[in-house]
Amino acid sequence: MARLLVEKRTDWVGIGFAAVLSIIIVFPLLVVFTWSVTNVWRYPSVIPQEFGLRFWQATLARADVWSSITMSLTLATVVTLLSALICLPAAYAFARLDFPGRSILFFSFLAGHAFPKFGLLVAIAAIFLQLNLIGTFWGVVLIQLVGTLLFMIWIPVAAFQSVDRRMEEAARDVGASPARVFWSITLPQAGPTIAAAVLLSFVGTFYETEGAWLIGAPQIRTMPVLMISFINNQPVIQYGAVLSVLLWIPSFVALLFARRVISSGSFARGFGA
Amino acid sequence: MSLTPASDIVGKKPGRGLSGLLLVAIPVFLVCWMVIWPILSAIWRTVWIRNDGGTGSSFSLETYQFFFSDQYSLNNLYVTLWTTAVCAALLLLICIPIALYLRFSTGKLAAYVQGLAIFPMFVPSIILSYALIRVLGPNGTVDLLLNAVSLPKIRSPYLTPWGPVIGLVWDNIPLTVLILVSGLGSVSNQSIEAARDVGAGRIATFWYIILPRISNSILVAISFTVLGLFSAFTLPYVLGPAAPEMMGPFMQRTFRDLNDPVMAITQAVIAFGFCIVFGLFYVRSVAKNRAP
Repeated sequence: MARLLVEKRTDWVGIGFAAVLSIIIVFPLLVVFTWSVTNVWRYPSVIPQEFGLRFWQATLARADVWSSITMSLTLATVVTLLSALICLPAAYAFARLDFPGRSILFFSFLAGHAFPKFGLLVAIAAIFLQLNLIGTFWGVVLIQLVGTLLFMIWIPVAAFQSVDRRMEEAARDVGASPARVFWSITLPQAGPTIAAAVLLSFVGTFYETEGAWLIGAPQIRTMPVLMISFINNQPVIQYGAVLSVLLWIPSFVALLFARRVISSGSFARGFGA
Repeated sequence: MSLTPASDIVGKKPGRGLSGLLLVAIPVFLVCWMVIWPILSAIWRTVWIRNDGGTGSSFSLETYQFFFSDQYSLNNLYVTLWTTAVCAALLLLICIPIALYLRFSTGKLAAYVQGLAIFPMFVPSIILSYALIRVLGPNGTVDLLLNAVSLPKIRSPYLTPWGPVIGLVWDNIPLTVLILVSGLGSVSNQSIEAARDVGAGRIATFWYIILPRISNSILVAISFTVLGLFSAFTLPYVLGPAAPEMMGPFMQRTFRDLNDPVMAITQAVIAFGFCIVFGLFYVRSVAKNRAP
């Protein structure tokens, strides 16, 4: 009986899931990749008539593609830096200082996530309309900055709280200044988690489409916004395919970094599960 | 993570309260100005309407009356409710079996399945839209393959209400699976073995032992789906039909193309109203999880 239980059975259920998910998840992306390295693919043929990188050159020669890449990188960098500048000191305060209303202010950052997002964006846009921020760079920066607040405060708060207080106190006891303690003890321990939060907010901002489209269009054109107009108006399929592959690069970087964080399960708990 | 009691971590020094408040002032101001104020202002502006002559304002529900008597707006609302309900049901049907499998399996194959289930998190929805058009759209890859084996073409879901459903389900699989797997972590192996020992079958074990323990996770997953889907924009805008359209594209068109911000925020407030229960539940369960 015991032998029967440990005997290895073929995991048919697992094979089934793996097969179905492979087709549903991976196949559409492979098709896009194939299109991006295709010179000619006319209808009834199952595989492209001619492979090649002609459309990579053509896409990279387009001015609108380059200006959207520059715009996306500039926006994501500005938003991430601003977010780090205002959120990290706040996170430190939430983790280490006592002040009136600390709890309620801490949970106030959830407010933006308790409403359907696009509805909230429309409500913000109505206010930006009165402030003449529609179609401006800083309007898009503001709307994307708000989207990063929760991550950039909650994750670093956890990082600061997990720093070993005894090491900080020991350093203070031997005469280190508070700034020195922060720089040499606190930051190195909290650093990796904070770096993850910064990466997360950069990638999240890079792909933020709805705020950029609602507030920025047509003047501010990021890569996802350009992608929407390629889907709607561009008859040459390969342009969209090449732009998709280019657009995926930051996500790929995030994927490499985030694998360990996500599979640990603490990630889902952050969503209230 | 939790906010540890401040008394444990801070020496009571005068002036610290003020510096703490100063350090958190800018983010808190941003939340007030860009989240709380727009919502209050949206409600205010849609019930306190400027009179026709532009002289003064008065209380009026005319924009809401218009929305709920306009057949086109109502159709958009129905298609949004339909899409949200169908997606939530499909997500649970797809993700509960995956989560159960992941909970009770180990090894390389389970790791591969988990990797695949989480992978869509790293595919931006705009790339997904493009990929689905290439695969399921007219003369897409599925048509190519069917044609190669001399079968008729599919009726493409692209530009029908099923287009957004497929995209939104695909996009939401990772979070739903993660939330459910995390919930299943609280079901102990002993309780399941005990049920098996007294002769309960797989379905009975699931129904009486597992389901009651993950019901909270299921509710969180549903809240998350509803909040994310009700005003989804990109996928319905790109994959969905021009009419009826979901609330997201509808609001965007009313705001930008019809240049009617008051009507657009009326639609937004209506969307808030439909989601308020889910929003409150979501905030409550996150707060409960993080409380000290």
